[in-house]
Amino acid sequence: MRPKVGVFDFTCCQGCELQILNCEEEMPDLIAALDIVAFREAMTERGNYYDIAFIDGACSRESEIVSLKEIRKRAKIVIPIGACACLGGVNCLKNAYPMDEVLKAEYGEAASYYDTIPARPISAVIPVDFFMPGCPIVKEEFIRVVQELLAGRDPYQPNDPVCAECKAGGNVCVFDKGMTCLGPVTRGGCKATCVTGGAVCWGCRGLIDEPNIHAEKEILESAGLSMEDITKRFNLFNVCQEGVWK
Amino acid sequence: MPIVTTLKADFYSSVQNMIHENEVYGVKRKTPSFAFDKLCATQELCLDYDITVLPPNQYLLPPTDPLITFNLSPEVSIRSKVESRATIILGIHAYDLHAIKLLDAVFTGNLVDVNYQARRSATAIIGVDCLNPWLYSFAASMGTALPPSIFDLWLTDLGGEYLIEVGSSRGQDLSKRYLKTKSARKVQIRQRDKFRQDSLNRYQLSLDRSAQEIPEILDKAWKNPLWEELGEKCFSCGSCTMVCPTCVCFDVRDKITLNLKRGERYRLGDSCMFDAFDKVASGENFRPTGTDRLRHRLYRKGKYMLERWGELGCVGCGRCVHACLVDIASPVYAYNRLVKEATQWPSA
Repeated sequence: MRPKVGVFDFTCCQGCELQILNCEEEMPDLIAALDIVAFREAMTERGNYYDIAFIDGACSRESEIVSLKEIRKRAKIVIPIGACACLGGVNCLKNAYPMDEVLKAEYGEAASYYDTIPARPISAVIPVDFFMPGCPIVKEEFIRVVQELLAGRDPYQPNDPVCAECKAGGNVCVFDKGMTCLGPVTRGGCKATCVTGGAVCWGCRGLIDEPNIHAEKEILESAGLSMEDITKRFNLFNVCQEGVWK
Repeated sequence: MPIVTTLKADFYSSVQNMIHENEVYGVKRKTPSFAFDKLCATQELCLDYDITVLPPNQYLLPPTDPLITFNLSPEVSIRSKVESRATIILGIHAYDLHAIKLLDAVFTGNLVDVNYQARRSATAIIGVDCLNPWLYSFAASMGTALPPSIFDLWLTDLGGEYLIEVGSSRGQDLSKRYLKTKSARKVQIRQRDKFRQDSLNRYQLSLDRSAQEIPEILDKAWKNPLWEELGEKCFSCGSCTMVCPTCVCFDVRDKITLNLKRGERYRLGDSCMFDAFDKVASGENFRPTGTDRLRHRLYRKGKYMLERWGELGCVGCGRCVHACLVDIASPVYAYNRLVKEATQWPSA
């Protein structure tokens, strides 16, 4: 029997769900292997029980806490997908401000129609079984995780820093090009897409298990960044400490 | 084997023909460095380079290398997968060729790795002398600045022409088919030897002792506080090993199709600098800290590989020296420090 799968969106841009839909080449095989019963971005129907629930987005409203608890009750395996779901991500930048100010800034006069709470990763609300980080998630990783789950294995969780794949891919180091990067402390598995494309690593896949934060601060400092800049860089995706993986 | 010369202009048009008929990987500009890549036109070739981002190992040990394919349904069957294509590597430096000599010992010695062997024997090697060494290289003091005799053709830039030493019958065939050559005169060979000698004096980094003494130095260095000093700064990011021409470790993984009917077992580069590298099934990790792993790497380069394969594990290319963002990966720095402090920390 095909496992029943639900894909859910919370506070996010839904880009990670779009990445699933971008698996065009594998889509026929995905549909043949999975019974997708809920996926708001892709279909209207909605089933109520799930063997695997993929959750996109952070939790930033009381009502989302209720929904997440309900999904956890109905799902055997829960996997947060993307930086927002795994780490809280950029949503957590608002946590530094009072919530009423945040609402006013976003909605102006209509602020009273909305409610919000400090943003948090999914694992801060319900127990989860695996993490699939990234902004957005990596298509190949999504397919691989599905394959491993279908084969009855625990999915492999990369823990090598971005530098490893970046160097192995033959990239000229970002620091050699006069830029700075969070690659040495950021969880790899993305094939260093951003650096390969000419940008730098912003840390969207979260920190590795034992990041040498002290050394990272030192290299950023000696590259000319102020302590404030360094904090900003770290905070972009990793400000929420509840997002630290365990 | 003969030594010949060819005019540079002639050589570059020969390369164009070579590219036309073969798969040629040569050195191209990759600002601000250089890199081995597939050559499409002779103009792309840069033979006057200091270092490439990666060594040319990728053509012998691809980053992901399929080993077997298998069917799980309707019946279980397994087939080995050996891929190789006739290939020419053009522009390799001597230190990288010394590394390939070590790879040969590892993969075609007592135990033959069929995947490596198939690719290796299908690969022709055309090297070039590095007359203007890279700032971070210390090949001269590792004894790897001049080529070992496992090349097919070896070039030395004499200005207007290349002096070419033919090293094998395959090299002879390549030379006959593509190159327009004249026999080298004695004066030209003497000129090459002088250029080589001059280049040896241009290396900025060097060992304070001879390379042969490194194992002995390491014998007395296990408890040296240097490891802790360097390990504290280590990211365990694996950059030093990913750019290393003698790093050969790999992991093996399976990939299965979504319908669970077929699959492939492949290997991919691994690194002793990673936390998971030394983790075993019980969950125990026998090199749990960055310090343990960093020390292991420098022992492997300076002692273990020599003991097991007969070649030092470091060829002095300097890539790790440069790749390390916290300046702790340099073998030459570590070994020199250990020499200086040997009397202070004699315990094994």
